[in-house]
Amino acid sequence: MTANTALESLVIDRGISAGDDYITIAPGAIRDVLLILREEGFTQLLFISCVDHLNRPDDRVPFTGGDQRPRFELIYEIRDNQRRSRLRVRVFLLEGEVRVQSVHDLYGPANWDERETWDLFGIEFEGHPDLTRILLPEDWVGHPLRRDFPVGGETVEFSEDHEEWQTSPAQA
Amino acid sequence: MADVTRPGVADGAQAAALGAPGSALTIIREPSPNPVDDGSEILTVNFGPHHPSTHGVLRLVVDLDGETIRKIRPVIGYLHTGIEKTAETLRYQQVVTVTDRHDYLSPLFNNLSYALAVEKLMGVEAPPRAQALRVILCELCRISSHLIWLGTSGLEMGAITMLWYCLRERDRVLDLNEEISGFRMHTSYIRPGGVSGDVTPRFLEMLDTFINTFPSSVDQYEELLTENKIFKTRTVGIGYLSKEDALRLGASGPMLRGSGVDWDLRRTMPYSGYEKYEFETAVAREGDCYARYRCRIKEFREATKILRQALDSLPEGPINVDDRKMLPPPRAELDTSMEALIHHFKLFTEGYSPPVGDAYAAVESGHGENGCYVVSDGTHKPRRVKFRSAGFVNLQSTETMALGGLVADMIAIIGTVDAVMGDVDR
Repeated sequence: MTANTALESLVIDRGISAGDDYITIAPGAIRDVLLILREEGFTQLLFISCVDHLNRPDDRVPFTGGDQRPRFELIYEIRDNQRRSRLRVRVFLLEGEVRVQSVHDLYGPANWDERETWDLFGIEFEGHPDLTRILLPEDWVGHPLRRDFPVGGETVEFSEDHEEWQTSPAQA
Repeated sequence: MADVTRPGVADGAQAAALGAPGSALTIIREPSPNPVDDGSEILTVNFGPHHPSTHGVLRLVVDLDGETIRKIRPVIGYLHTGIEKTAETLRYQQVVTVTDRHDYLSPLFNNLSYALAVEKLMGVEAPPRAQALRVILCELCRISSHLIWLGTSGLEMGAITMLWYCLRERDRVLDLNEEISGFRMHTSYIRPGGVSGDVTPRFLEMLDTFINTFPSSVDQYEELLTENKIFKTRTVGIGYLSKEDALRLGASGPMLRGSGVDWDLRRTMPYSGYEKYEFETAVAREGDCYARYRCRIKEFREATKILRQALDSLPEGPINVDDRKMLPPPRAELDTSMEALIHHFKLFTEGYSPPVGDAYAAVESGHGENGCYVVSDGTHKPRRVKFRSAGFVNLQSTETMALGGLVADMIAIIGTVDAVMGDVDR
């Protein structure tokens, strides 16, 4: 990546995870960073997704700085077709502040990806034109890919003890 | 005012009654925004989710002005099975079985993208023989996935014969799957660290026959469709997607190459030794349904070329990485080695734990970029598995392609997107 002072001032951390380049930025800077990166050639958005770091057993979130441990990690995987390289942009969100700006106008696929992330994780994207459930029914309660959403939470007929073992907090 | 003497015409409360949820075809007639203008009205038609041409359970809410599409909104999620949540509750080697099932027409590609992501986390690479076997099985899978597309698309556009011919060849691919893995569709053949079993002499023989005879089958499909007047009328110039739009909307696979963008992950970001094989990427400039059809036909022929090269140069050697912490020892060792027994016990009771980190791996499937993003927290179960589905992204370009076209063309357009709903909804 070419040296870009505007970008460098927004990057909190950068590194390589299992061979993939990544940068970490503050939640408020997502639009600015993606605008710069898109100008630099990262024109393709591969996916937006989220990771829930609730009760992480190794007690370590890959995040530097800040007092409070963030719970959610937003992932924006982008690709530069000319240079044939990928870059992962990470944003960490505190549990009470699950809100970032939408990038649906910067990248076409972001529209449905953001809807999916809202549907499954409950992350709010400000400025999204139609932030509604996409994979789950409209009347669904909760966001199932959060770690505290129990597996098999709905009643399963003819199963005797599913509630005991599947919905206990230790299993979440 | 409601005119009760005319059946099928309703407004207000009657429209709501007609549009009862659950009915397969709901017609809501809204009063025209400009009634004096030309008397045209916008008709909102609910198409699907249970319709033979929706490739599963895709629902489209279409605004029609006469027969012209004014707005189209795909509604998905009818096949959502929570596969990503399920994957978080399974051990790394067990997740392979669920990857088979999200894009059920290309299970081998799903296996491969997951396996590559886990191998990246573990810092290992599959041995050459395993890589060649992966390429063989993936190209066979590409053929079988395209065959289903060709057969069903032909069926939708009136060429019923296509389905019989395509399923005939697909059955031979499934026979090959069965011979090498014991399963016809959900093979779980490609696993982190290698593949589940070596080839049999019979498999090599069957594959050789298949490679020799398949090109003539492709000729047969082309005879039936390529210059077919009806087929061309329904596809040439229909569902135009410009190069700029394809890139803007993030399309991949034949959708992108049909619009003139030469981007094929096998060539541009090679994996599993694809850089060793000689083949051409299938690119067409026109960006219509016919161009996408020609791309896929060309991929049949190129896949056959890759199969021939991979079969002829199949290297000798192990089919799994030599890492006892990741893959079980050979059965014979269990009788003599205490270490092997311990490794076996640990692997099947606890599994293995990649180091903390996250990795993304992508492969070029029959539908486009099939990716897998795996996050490890250092335990034996993944913290998060995200499947990057090609269909989910490609389906978003439906509106761009169908806008201003005729409702009958919508079938051809959805057909050439080739979205597998299991993959879209996961």
